[in-house]
Amino acid sequence: MNFELTEEQQLIGQSAREFGKEFLDPIAVDLDHSGKFPKEIIEQLASYDFLGLLVPESQGGAGAGFVAYIQVVEALSRSCPAVASILNNHAMATHAIATWGSDAQKAEHVAALAKGSRLGAVAVYENGPTPGIGPDALVASRQGDKYVLNGTKAFVRNAGVADVYVVFATLDSSEKKEQTAFLVDARAGGLTVGPLLDTMGLKGCPVAHLLFSNVSVPASALLGAENGGSAIARTLLAVSSVAEAAQTVAIGKAAVRHAAEYAQQRVQFGKPIAVLQAIQTLLAEVATDSQLAWLGVLRAAQLIENGEPFEADAAMVKAFLARFGSKMLIDCCQVEGGFGFSEFMPLPRLFRDIAGTTLLDAPADYPDKIIADSIA
Amino acid sequence: MPKFLVLYKWTLDEQDIKVKSDDLSLDASRAKGKISDFDRNAIEEAAAIVEKQGGSVEALSYGTPTVKQSLKDVLSRGVDKAYWIGDASAETADAAVTAKVLAAAIRKIGPYDFILTGEGSSDQFNQQTAPRLAALLGLPCLSFVHKLEVDGAKASVARKLADCTELATVTGPAVISVLSDINKPRIPGLKQVLGAAKKPSEEIALGSLGLAAEDLQPKASRRSVKGFVMTRKNVIYKDAPADAVAKLVSSLAGEGLI
Repeated sequence: MNFELTEEQQLIGQSAREFGKEFLDPIAVDLDHSGKFPKEIIEQLASYDFLGLLVPESQGGAGAGFVAYIQVVEALSRSCPAVASILNNHAMATHAIATWGSDAQKAEHVAALAKGSRLGAVAVYENGPTPGIGPDALVASRQGDKYVLNGTKAFVRNAGVADVYVVFATLDSSEKKEQTAFLVDARAGGLTVGPLLDTMGLKGCPVAHLLFSNVSVPASALLGAENGGSAIARTLLAVSSVAEAAQTVAIGKAAVRHAAEYAQQRVQFGKPIAVLQAIQTLLAEVATDSQLAWLGVLRAAQLIENGEPFEADAAMVKAFLARFGSKMLIDCCQVEGGFGFSEFMPLPRLFRDIAGTTLLDAPADYPDKIIADSIA
Repeated sequence: MPKFLVLYKWTLDEQDIKVKSDDLSLDASRAKGKISDFDRNAIEEAAAIVEKQGGSVEALSYGTPTVKQSLKDVLSRGVDKAYWIGDASAETADAAVTAKVLAAAIRKIGPYDFILTGEGSSDQFNQQTAPRLAALLGLPCLSFVHKLEVDGAKASVARKLADCTELATVTGPAVISVLSDINKPRIPGLKQVLGAAKKPSEEIALGSLGLAAEDLQPKASRRSVKGFVMTRKNVIYKDAPADAVAKLVSSLAGEGLI
């Protein structure tokens, strides 16, 4: 088994790290305060081809593969996890169309999304206990050669800035409440973006509900088959959870690096606190957790790239980081004491961001169920 | 249209090097390689000129066999073709040996209108490659260049010297070493990284350069390298604020710092 990255994967990661230092480090704090969508940064990402990284060359992308994508998400997240979240949601929408779209859909959307002239978003969640249930459920009705959508999609990232949404709805004829995926243009009549949610972290990545009131889309907007959306959503969420795990690892690594530098500089009783065993234990545990999780992320990413079953591996990484992600930040804050709790240090921002990357795209019991099913 | 050759060094990334606290020796066991910082400026300058007005950019590096790891990196930064000389002799080569090897290689693969390199390397910063190479090749050398304009075979440069800026022109072939403020090296985009694999690279065997054994014998050898750690004096003035400030100012003045 080989955990070595190819030269291309290493260089792509290096480019992303340089991009992070050059463009993201200077804006990360301001973005956390303003929460304003960083349009110019996303345009910069596009100019370096990061938006089309997963898209095959034949469809206008870089075709660099999922392992390279994970390098990029991790590298950008060390500097600014919110920007990586914008990228990931866009990449998942693009990936969905490139994978399950018709030839006409690919021709219309994929090259533009890869180039960054259009931005994508995935709208999968609803307010009810499960999609298709409850008064807010997004329901699609087939009416001749079109579908009419009514209802709400909740917590949509890139809401309001995306040009095209990959939307999951329940056909009113679906007895089992299976989902059906549609491509909905942001300018569609009857589609309203709700007020932006003031989120705890990942500020700058806009989150809002999408309100559908008699939104009419042509039959050609169907992505995949009727009632085939649940499988697409499951796969997309699993793929996305690996990217979010990479974000979580990156935040943990950024935090432990900062805490380690602080421990070298902070002198107590005549020596740096880095030599104290209690501090070393805290730092060593965080470094261990993040490194082991990173190996798991790489493994899941390689499975995705190889087209092999990856859902259980992805769920394991997600579950591991759901438990240890926030702990990494607590431990790092503890090393930095009162300073670590202060907003002029980066740890509080990273703490809020890691809550987003561990909680989103998978409810707490979701990975456990997948893991349990895989071993039963 | 100008034909450029850029010389670059594959160095250890200093960010990965740890200074051991007991004897200040360096632990580079986990250090990754990188293209020396100033050489990135040289690559960028040549690539930017060629992108604007045509021509070609080739690159050449002499290093230990690990220099091969640099090829895709350098080719992703606007270079059309990369040459490399990977030989264990580079581990102990001094500036004279390095210049002799590079000069012999350039005689083999040249000629070029302009040979660019960084003012000094990230690791040793000897600043000797450009002048020694120019002397060996019998070419003019312009160092400390922070502005470069090329018009055909003629180059106009601004040299940043200690107390003045010197403007000069030179007709190629010439050797030019650049400072870091001449430009901002690009971050290669994904398509440049992936496209690098399709560009040519060529190994030049050291033995094919016709150098004598004494040419490869360094006259200067490095005995040791130690990290620099700034130690604090930890002087604390516990007097009343006005007196403490006065003593601090007096102390700084006494050491010639203010």
